[in-house]
Amino acid sequence: MLCMQNISKVYRTDSVETHALREFSLTVDEGEFVSVTGPSGSGKTTFLNIAGLLEEFSNGNYQLDGKDISRLSDRERSRVRNEKIGFIFQSFNLIPELDIFDNVDVPLRYRGLKSAERRKRIERVVELVGLGSRLHHLPSQLSGGQQQRVAIARALAGEPRFLLADEPTGNLDSGMAASVMELLADINEAGTTIIMVTHEAMLAKRAGRNISVRDGRVSSGKSLHVASAATA
Amino acid sequence: MEIGPIWRALMRNKTAYVLIALQIAVTMAIMVNSIAIIQERSRLMARPSGVDESNIFYLSSNGFTPDFDDRAAIVEDLEAIRSLAGVVDAISSNTVPLRNGGWSSGVQTEAGDDVDGTGVAIYFIDEHGVDTFGLNLIAGRNFEPTDVEWYSQSSTRWPPAGIISQDAASTLYPDAPNDAVGKTIYISNDQPVRIVGVVERMQAAWKDWEGVERSMLVPAFLEDSFTWYVIRTEPGYRDRLMPQVEQMLAESNDGRIISEMTTMTETRHKSYHEDAAMIKLLVFIVSLLTAITGLGIVGLASFSVARRTRQIGTRRALGASRPAILRYFMLENFMVSSVGIFAGGLLAVAMNIWMVQTFELTPMAWYIIPAAMLILWVVGQAAVYGPARRASLVPPAVATRSV
Amino acid sequence: MIRYYVKLGLLGIRQNPVLSALMVAAIAVGIGACMTIINIDYVMSGNPIPQRSDVLYHVQLDSWDPNEPANEPNEPPDQVTWLDGTALLEAAKGRRQVLSYRSSRVVQPADPELRPFEVSARSTTADFFPMFDVPFLYGRGWDKSADDTLEQVVVLGKEINERIFGGEDSVGRTLMMNGDVFRVTGVVDEWAPIPTFYDVSTGPFNEVEEVYFPFSVSVAREVGGNGNTNCWKPRDEAGWNSFLNSECVWMQFWVELHGADEKEDYMAFLDAYVESQKALGRFPRPLNNRLNDVMEWMADQEVVADDVQVLLGLAILFLIVCLLNTIGLLLAKIMRRSGDISLRRALGASQSAIFSQYIVEAGVIGLGGGIIGIGLTWLGLKGIEILYSEMEFIENLVRMDWVMILAAIALAIVSALGAALYPTWRACRIHPAAQLKTL
Repeated sequence: MLCMQNISKVYRTDSVETHALREFSLTVDEGEFVSVTGPSGSGKTTFLNIAGLLEEFSNGNYQLDGKDISRLSDRERSRVRNEKIGFIFQSFNLIPELDIFDNVDVPLRYRGLKSAERRKRIERVVELVGLGSRLHHLPSQLSGGQQQRVAIARALAGEPRFLLADEPTGNLDSGMAASVMELLADINEAGTTIIMVTHEAMLAKRAGRNISVRDGRVSSGKSLHVASAATA
Repeated sequence: MEIGPIWRALMRNKTAYVLIALQIAVTMAIMVNSIAIIQERSRLMARPSGVDESNIFYLSSNGFTPDFDDRAAIVEDLEAIRSLAGVVDAISSNTVPLRNGGWSSGVQTEAGDDVDGTGVAIYFIDEHGVDTFGLNLIAGRNFEPTDVEWYSQSSTRWPPAGIISQDAASTLYPDAPNDAVGKTIYISNDQPVRIVGVVERMQAAWKDWEGVERSMLVPAFLEDSFTWYVIRTEPGYRDRLMPQVEQMLAESNDGRIISEMTTMTETRHKSYHEDAAMIKLLVFIVSLLTAITGLGIVGLASFSVARRTRQIGTRRALGASRPAILRYFMLENFMVSSVGIFAGGLLAVAMNIWMVQTFELTPMAWYIIPAAMLILWVVGQAAVYGPARRASLVPPAVATRSV
Repeated sequence: MIRYYVKLGLLGIRQNPVLSALMVAAIAVGIGACMTIINIDYVMSGNPIPQRSDVLYHVQLDSWDPNEPANEPNEPPDQVTWLDGTALLEAAKGRRQVLSYRSSRVVQPADPELRPFEVSARSTTADFFPMFDVPFLYGRGWDKSADDTLEQVVVLGKEINERIFGGEDSVGRTLMMNGDVFRVTGVVDEWAPIPTFYDVSTGPFNEVEEVYFPFSVSVAREVGGNGNTNCWKPRDEAGWNSFLNSECVWMQFWVELHGADEKEDYMAFLDAYVESQKALGRFPRPLNNRLNDVMEWMADQEVVADDVQVLLGLAILFLIVCLLNTIGLLLAKIMRRSGDISLRRALGASQSAIFSQYIVEAGVIGLGGGIIGIGLTWLGLKGIEILYSEMEFIENLVRMDWVMILAAIALAIVSALGAALYPTWRACRIHPAAQLKTL
């Protein structure tokens, strides 16, 4: 359902051309849990940004759900992000002025759902991540692990087909990290495709398949388990 | 829309927005009251004096030699001036409207020293006066040559006829202002004056006097070594005739000084120049203030966009389109502005009430408030547009960048 | 330590030059607008004769109409009648007293090349010059005896002396006015009391008169007043004498009194005088006499124009808007530097150290705003002068003195410090660790 072929991304400044991705190709099937590893500067984040439609690419072909992404307008890209993709960031990116309810509400607002429907979904996903009793707390009143749970709830609220996670446990201690990984595994179990960028080999192993990126290319890809996928 | 979450976000980080709202409120109060003053002054400045201002000029003749013959000078001078080509008519008068110097007196509808009088401006003119000033006689008749007397220090009797302005008529006879002609009023408590005519309008010499619209024309030459000659010309002749008349009068008699030659246009300009200056000053203050408040909004919005870059990226990542981000900041400004504008409206009304009481101004017109609201909303939206647009251009990839 | 804060403050200003420039500009514009109007208000409400203002008293007697007061609510007329003025003058119960009115004369130069011209004149008694501290370029005023003997003497203003006598010492020379020959006793130097307190009946801001000559001569020549003449009672007869003896008010009476006792005595004298006149059938109103010293009289006459007061209010609000702007900018600046602040806190800076650093920085910004504000005030006053160019006296109302310059700087610094209080307090509260964590 995600298919990248020969994607290149070149950053140009006046004097330097940096090739963040070179002829990058990857296919991810529905229901997979893919981890992406690689040293810093290898192009992991660029890959994630392009996969999540946060950035455009210079060359190549990218199809999501069978749809060609390269020709979409900003508005259409925003819609795809909103409806099909959920993001989980390393530093959570919760909006500090908004409480948990309003934070989870953000993508639903952009979806244009009715108030009752939004409330139902928010309550469900916040319950799901185990913070049902803290709907009206501010992010600053929560621990890092709890904040990341809120971020996951926010990503899930829109019922995306894809979850893109960028070092989701990077800012967490090991205990919290484990519980977040647990949660991600459950979500994948329930049918959501997950692509997770990480530099920790231990975490990468929790995924069904690991892709290693080096110098903007996929250097190796191997299945870690016999796919627990294809349940959808 | 997203009013709820925007409002809640605002309330979490109030200070900066409170500052902007306060600025807008004070700006609003100043704007509303300045507009009220400007409107009031413009209204005053627009009042016609009643005379044919564009074609009238006047000058003074001041006889200073002990043997100066006041009467002969006036008679000869008027005859000479009236015979000039281009002169419509001319008179000797004690003053002209708006000159800020003249004579006023109390008149009353019954004789007696305990009867309340009405102050009217007094103009001493002859039968050419109505024509010279270009007044519009709306009832009764003009003065006849036989009405006109010589009035001086040694006169004991007031000339018994008068023409009053319509406003004087309605003040004296509030019940029947149109029947003033033929009635008798009393000046100096008991000296009768029969009203022979009413002119539509003839302002007094003092523009700030509450009775500026009340005047009485008296058929007399004021017998004094000092007099004003008022000259009305055919359209287009005024500027040509001015030096001609001045030179002719100066040369005709060594025993006097001809000076202070002025047009009615200049007189109006001079009379109202403080109001005109006040208007300009207020326009300047309000514009500058609005600009400063606008810049304040730009500054705060820019700062807030810079501070929230990551948040904006996150919103973009979560599916906000560019217009949605633009809308977010525009709406945020609209809400902050609205708080300021409504607070400013209250402040403006309070300030106006205070000013009306302290400086005896007329209360402002109600529509100034919505007009100022509209202006400030537009200014706010225009000011925030730049930063909001910059916000909408924040790339969504900002969200994944480590700090 | 303060030097370190000053250094940090200056560094801070350089670090955010745009933000700092905006703050300086906001304060400067606010100060400029506010000080322009304050300056005009200050000049208008200034003391025209500070060295003597508390010994000079303006006299008002309520000789008005029994049916209505001269001015609402129950104010006596602003000027006095000839009858009362001359009676008070003759009684001479004060240390000095002066009776005068504004008139006009035609000067006839001896030089046949110069045409006769009109001058504004003050018909006054001899004490005018010493009482009001009139500065003389040449000679002096006339003796009191000249008043009594109707001597034709004249004091010239500086400009007239230049026009007629080429600026020479003209004392003892003669001048013809309206056919009479006057002997010059003195020439007044530059003199421009603001307001022209001794006669505000035609407005508080006028040029002083061009010539001065004895009141007694003026009355004898039947020279009428050139200011306001207000009457409430019709005259019984015609003619100049009847006018003099009428209830018309048209001249100003001032008396010099030292101390409360003299004032009290003089008030008693005025009351007694009015009572004696009541016996003659005059003064139909209840006793209502007034003695105001110069500044009381200026306040009573509301010499500061309403427009200036309205503008003053607006200007103060204007400054407030500029300061709100400055507070916003300072907050923005402190937020931007919160990392720096928490680092300093972590390295051991106390809250008061942070406070001092930012207050010093605000003070420097205020100083900058004040200095530029003085420039803007000067521009503002120039603008006002151009805007009100029709007003004869305007150049005297737009002068800036040292008091106002210092006031501008003081106001700027106080404003900047005031504006800095809240943002600085916020800076102090930044937690040592809070910002470091996310770095």
